[in-house]
Formats: sequence, structure tokens, C-alpha cells
Amino acid sequence: MRTLDIASTGMMAQQTNVEVIANNLANMNTTGFKQQRAEFQDLLYQNIEQAGAQTSDSGTVLPMGIQLGSGVRTAAVSRIMTQGDLSNTGNPYDLAIQGSGFFHITMPDGTDAYTRAGNFALSPEGQIVTDKGYTVAPGIAVPANALSITVNAQGQVQASMPGQTAPQTLGQIELVRFPNEGGLAAQGDNLFTETASSGSAQAGVPGSTGYGTIQQNYLETANVNPVAEVTALITAQRAYEMNSKVVTAADNMMQTTSRMGGS
Amino acid sequence: MDNTLLISLSQQLASYRSMDVIANNIANINTPAFKRESMKFEEYIQQSQPAEGETGPQQISFVQDKGTLRDLTQGALTHTGATFDLAISGKGYFTIQTPNGDTRYTRNGHFTLDGNGQVVTEDGGVLQADGGAVTVTNDDGDIHIAQDGTITGARGQLGKVKLVDFTNDAALKKEGASLYSTDQQPNAVETPVMAQGSLEESNVQPVVEISHMLDVLRAYQTTASLTQSQEDLMRNAIDKLGGAAN
Repeated sequence: MRTLDIASTGMMAQQTNVEVIANNLANMNTTGFKQQRAEFQDLLYQNIEQAGAQTSDSGTVLPMGIQLGSGVRTAAVSRIMTQGDLSNTGNPYDLAIQGSGFFHITMPDGTDAYTRAGNFALSPEGQIVTDKGYTVAPGIAVPANALSITVNAQGQVQASMPGQTAPQTLGQIELVRFPNEGGLAAQGDNLFTETASSGSAQAGVPGSTGYGTIQQNYLETANVNPVAEVTALITAQRAYEMNSKVVTAADNMMQTTSRMGGS
Repeated sequence: MDNTLLISLSQQLASYRSMDVIANNIANINTPAFKRESMKFEEYIQQSQPAEGETGPQQISFVQDKGTLRDLTQGALTHTGATFDLAISGKGYFTIQTPNGDTRYTRNGHFTLDGNGQVVTEDGGVLQADGGAVTVTNDDGDIHIAQDGTITGARGQLGKVKLVDFTNDAALKKEGASLYSTDQQPNAVETPVMAQGSLEESNVQPVVEISHMLDVLRAYQTTASLTQSQEDLMRNAIDKLGGAAN
């Protein structure tokens, strides 16, 4: 019975929906996390009677046809790249991006990864690294005797050294943009990598046209809105229930059929 | 075979198709811009020969499914905040060029950029503006899409989203993936209204669908019991008449 198949596509779609919402809620406090959303599409239609088919020699046509749908599918789980709130941490190695762009991270195997999570620290060698110890490109070393470190909005890293009045420039953090940020592949650990659909990375100085600026001492919080997620969860759960009602109804119809003529 | 059984059968087959349509509506409760459908039935009258002892011809009516009627009312608009989510308010369809080069129409305004910066659907179909595809580059910065569909970036105007309408939009053929196809000539919508950062929801109303579903289910069960009574009647007749012969 087709109804059963249709309702099961509906239940599977809602299950995916709940999984995506659960992941959003689980990452509510993950630095730089971007919320995701499941997108649905209707499946193919079976044409039983074609609208517009001729019904007489004089050219009258059927005003409507019969098209039976076959359910729903998850077309995509897209990522919503809106800005998260900035929260003050007071840690000089916490950097937040205000606006578009990603930090460029060099992975231990030499490949590139990108992140919005700016909770950086120093490695034993004095380099600025992520919380996993991966180098933040281009690899800026902070001298061990530096008194304090400043990162300005344009991404320039400066240190004040003992006995010097002028700060010493250590390097420049660049941001990277993509034609389609939603097409980046999430790798876990807040990292993304480039794909064919994201387009190729374009580096630029923070604050130049199209690039965000850098805020030292701040972290970008997740852009998950708990109220919206919980509302979506309720909707998804009810939709799941309704599809299961359809399964029950289809089952009832089949039971009735099998009981016909059975006495 | 007996007419009662055939009439019941016509109703039961129609119920099955009705149920399929309702199941499809409920399955697509979260599909953006999905339009609910309902089955239309028609009486099919057959003249039968007068039985013995009757004077005029008898009429029996079967039920047959005539068509699926699409409810084109507007779905509610929900705010998503995504830059390239567009909801049409009022009439109109977006024009999409599929990767195979076919022209399709949709009201599902969930668009993104592809790797080349073109505005596309989830399946890579290209959204058509007045001058064809719209390409967004990194230099455009934040994109603003006005109510009439004008796309503006930091470099200025990039294009204007084309909204079209049809003389008979109930005759558009569903192609799945929220797309429609038609042979009709599209007419440009005079005053297009769209909302950036929103999506049109499915216009399926759970209450309506569930009550229709119960309706169909009960009708099906009633007919089934009618079939059962008819069968009992026949069995009885055979028993009685068979008994009389012995």
C-alpha cells in the first residue's frame, strides 16, 4: 500500500529534523558554532491522468489531472552563517570575528582548515595555536619575555617588550572568505574545510571590504536560538506523530480488507 | 458479478487513492511552499437492463476519482535569517534553470550560492533574474534583496529576481523537489512582493488532513461492512435455496 511508504518517508524526514535540532541544542555553548537546518522537498509524482489532455474533438481539455505524490525527502542540511553574539572573556588570546570570514588554520599534516572559533592559546614554542595545538596561519611566534600582546581590529599582532616604549609587530592574522560559506564541510572540532561547492578561499586583511574585523578578548558564541530550536522540536515531534497516525490508518484499512469475506 | 460488490469496489479503490493523497500532504508538512492537494470524485452512472418485474431501466452509480485539486492558498511566512531565503508574498513563481537546461518554476525560495557565486537551489538549479543568472562575488559584501526582488551588494545592483505567473496555475505539473513544469507562457508579475530571510511554509493544515484521513478510513470500513452483508446475503440465499432442493 502506497500510503504506508509515503508516511514512512514523512517519519524518516522528521527523524532527520529532530537529529539536526538535537545537534544544534547540544552545541548551544560551542564557540563559533553555526546552527543547521534540515530542508525538505517533495518526491516525484506519478501521473495517472494528465491535466490538459483532450476530452473531445472540439478541443476541450481536462482542467485538472491526477498526480499522486510519493512523499518527502531531506534535500539538504544547510548551515546558517549568521553572526553569533560576542562574549567578553578577558583572555588576550581569545579572538572573535565581527562580520564575515574565517581564521585560517594549518593542520599538522599541512592541509588547510578554517574556523570561526577564536579560542587560541600559545604552544610550548610560543606560537599562536588552536585549543588542539594546530597552528593559526601564518604562524605567529610570541617572544617569551613579552609583557602583553595586542591584536587590533585589522588583525595586527603586537607585543610590548620590556624596556621598549613602541610595541613590536609580531605578525598579521588574515581572514579567509568563500563564495558560498554554506558549502564548507564541517570536520568537527569547530573546523571546516573547502569543498567544490564552497568555492576557493580568498584571503584578506580584516576590516577591508567584505571582511569582518577582529575583537580581542572576546569569543563568538553559537548562533543557536534555544527558543526557536525548542519550537522547531515541538513541530517536528508533532509532525512525526501525525505521520505515524497515517501509518495506523493505513494499517486499519488493510485489516478491514483482510477481514472482508472472512467469516 | 453482483452490482453491490462492484459499487463497493469502486468506492474502496477511490478511498485508497484518497489516502495516498492525504499521506503525501502530511509527509510534506515541513516542505517549504508545498501546496496541499485533495482528491475530487465524480459519479459515474451506468444504465442497466430492467430486472424481471421492473418497468423502467435502472441506474447504478459508481464513484471514480476525477482529479487532484491543488489548494493554492499562501502558506505562512517564517523567518529564517538566511540571506538567500526568499518568500513570495502573493502571486508568482521563481524561474529556475535546471542543470539539464530545462525551465522549471517554484515557490520554494530556499536558495544558496554555489562555488562560482551563482544563486542556486538545493539541487543546483540556477535562479533566473531579469538578465539570467545572478553571480555574487566576495567584493559584494552583505547582500540586500528588496521587496521587488532587486539584489544589491556593495558594488551596486546585481540583478532583479524574476517572478512569473500563469493564466491557469492549477494546471502546472508537479515535478517533485518543489518544482513545477508547464507549456503555458509565463507572464511577468507586475508588482512582485518578496521577503528576504523568510521562507513560505507548507499550507498543509494538520487538523484538516487528520479529519479527512478519519473520514476516508470510516467510509472505507462502512463499505467493507456493506460488502460483508452482501456476501452474507448471497451465502444465505445459497444455503436456503440449496436446502430447498434437497
